[in-house]
Amino acid sequence: MKILIVEDNERVARFVTRGLREAGHTVEHANNGRDGLFIAASEPYDVIVMDRMLPGNIDGLAIIETLRKSGNRTPILILSALADVDERIRGLRSGGDDYLTKPFAFGELLARLDALGRRPVESGGERVLLVGDLRMDLLSRKVTRGARTITLQPREFKLLEYLMRHADQVVTRTMLLEAVWDYNFDPQTNVVDVHISKLRSKIELDGEPPLVRTVRNAGYMMCEHE
Amino acid sequence: MNRLLRSSAATWALGTVLMGLAALAAFAIPLWYAWNATVTAGRQELLREDAQRLSAVFERGGISALTAHIDARVAMQIAGERTLLLTDAAYQPLAGNIAAWPQTISARAGSNAVLAELPGQNGRTLFVEATLPGGYHLLVGRDLARLAPVEQRFTWGLVSAVLLLFVVGVLGAFLIRRALLARVSDIGQTVGAIMRGDLHRRLPSGGSDEFATLSRTLNGMLDHIEHLICGIKNVSNSIAHDLRTPLAEVRSRLEELALTRPPPAEAYAEIEAAVADVDRVMGMFNALLRLAEIDSGARRSGFVRVDAARVAAEVVEFYEPAAEEKGVVFSFLNGGEAPVAGDPVLLAQALSNLIDNSLKCVAEKGAISVHVGRRADGAVEIAVADDGPGIADADKPKATERFFRGDASRGTPGVGLGLSIVDAVARLHGGVLQLLDNHPGLRAQMVLPGR
Repeated sequence: MKILIVEDNERVARFVTRGLREAGHTVEHANNGRDGLFIAASEPYDVIVMDRMLPGNIDGLAIIETLRKSGNRTPILILSALADVDERIRGLRSGGDDYLTKPFAFGELLARLDALGRRPVESGGERVLLVGDLRMDLLSRKVTRGARTITLQPREFKLLEYLMRHADQVVTRTMLLEAVWDYNFDPQTNVVDVHISKLRSKIELDGEPPLVRTVRNAGYMMCEHE
Repeated sequence: MNRLLRSSAATWALGTVLMGLAALAAFAIPLWYAWNATVTAGRQELLREDAQRLSAVFERGGISALTAHIDARVAMQIAGERTLLLTDAAYQPLAGNIAAWPQTISARAGSNAVLAELPGQNGRTLFVEATLPGGYHLLVGRDLARLAPVEQRFTWGLVSAVLLLFVVGVLGAFLIRRALLARVSDIGQTVGAIMRGDLHRRLPSGGSDEFATLSRTLNGMLDHIEHLICGIKNVSNSIAHDLRTPLAEVRSRLEELALTRPPPAEAYAEIEAAVADVDRVMGMFNALLRLAEIDSGARRSGFVRVDAARVAAEVVEFYEPAAEEKGVVFSFLNGGEAPVAGDPVLLAQALSNLIDNSLKCVAEKGAISVHVGRRADGAVEIAVADDGPGIADADKPKATERFFRGDASRGTPGVGLGLSIVDAVARLHGGVLQLLDNHPGLRAQMVLPGR
């Protein structure tokens, strides 16, 4: 993916740039708001990472608003030290697509950028999700693996749907908490892991190839095993 | 006196006195006017009739008959009450009971009523003068002295009313100011003591007047401030102790790496452990920021009608697999719709903290039960009960303090902020967190005002 990072903190920018390049992405960096707006407006990117507080008389939210007004719909992830719920809401209202608070784990950023960059611009058309021989019918809400029908609780269905929609991408526990349960706090116990293992026990019977992989220090990934 | 004049009591008293004066004037001025009009008009009527009668005598018998008539009248009358005078065209007296035509009265054609003072006589006299054919001037008057005592009493009454108003005003100002000063200085002293650091002082709030109401409101504010300040104190102490420990660990790990330069595999393990330490510190900071956000009350603006039972059902469903995995008997008693005004995410977080705590401390095969319901008094209760080790009575008041960790929770994951957050959430919603004995175990319940 081609990613633009607008971030004034050199250390953070270097760390993110190096990490994303290692993950195989093309990365460009602007260290102030004016350059950021100029570069974002003049070249197409798959995802933009935008710091909120920037030098150069224009802050991150203003850049996003300007871009959106000019018709630019590139997915934008806002990076900010402001963690309040209100700030998060302001960020998303200004036109951002995701909000990550500093400090962050790199795996979390990578997973979220992946999800944003591959997010279909117009979604909602599909009726069926497929990963390997696992099939989810979104209208009849039926899940089958091969010939076997799988019965899921509503929340398990939502969890599996999210994983399948983000197949071949890493999804973090925080992303799952936000998307499936709508919780923006971290439970102390490994509740998400337990939910995943319960789901696994339903979709991966003995002898069936596993579909959900645990990614160390990051989260989970649903994929058809090689 | 100068200070009294500048006080609000003096302003109030002055206002009252001025109002009183205005009311008095509104009462006295029309009365005085009506009195004068009635009395003077009545007298004038009499005098005119008198003058006409005398004119008739003149017309019938000429000047000699009138002179004789007047002389007879003067001789008959009680002196001083009625004044009669007949003069020729040059104002030389012909008959009557005064010696000369009063200079204050000029003769005019026709009969006019005039008020005048006569030399040598007390009080005013009302005159009617008439010019008779042949240039003779006739003056008929009546002394008003008889009415003077009534008028005097009226005036005295008015003056004493004004004086009374002033006295009551000044005295009232003085007394009110004294009472106000006493209450205000109570408040001032208490606030002074609080500013000097004695945070436990409260205003006297006995009675049911406005000051008591104000005092109670201020006391509520002081409770809140004391709580916040204690929170800040605790946080500073805790940052010193609890945050330094993981930071010290990170530092020693990194320093050791730099000094010993171990083989890569070992180094990576150390680095990962250091990252985990930093994550722990970040977790604490996030929880502290969350607490600060809740304590600020800013979230209250986003309150909506929330069914606590539904929130609880979702959180319970969320934790069910985790409880199952640990072999804990996890039950949920749903007492039906339990509406509160609140923030659903915060309520979910509070309940999830309580369940987290219970899950951490109950033994395998233990029991946790969550209960939500509306109480008879309308309050909504969200309770988590377990059969774990519970909290010692001595520790209960401290359990909601930041970074407090009871003996039972030492060695379990967590940073000692869970119950602080629950407590803050309960208070944000206008409720309380109660920690009760479950015989054995702990029953932690949030009691929130219902809606």
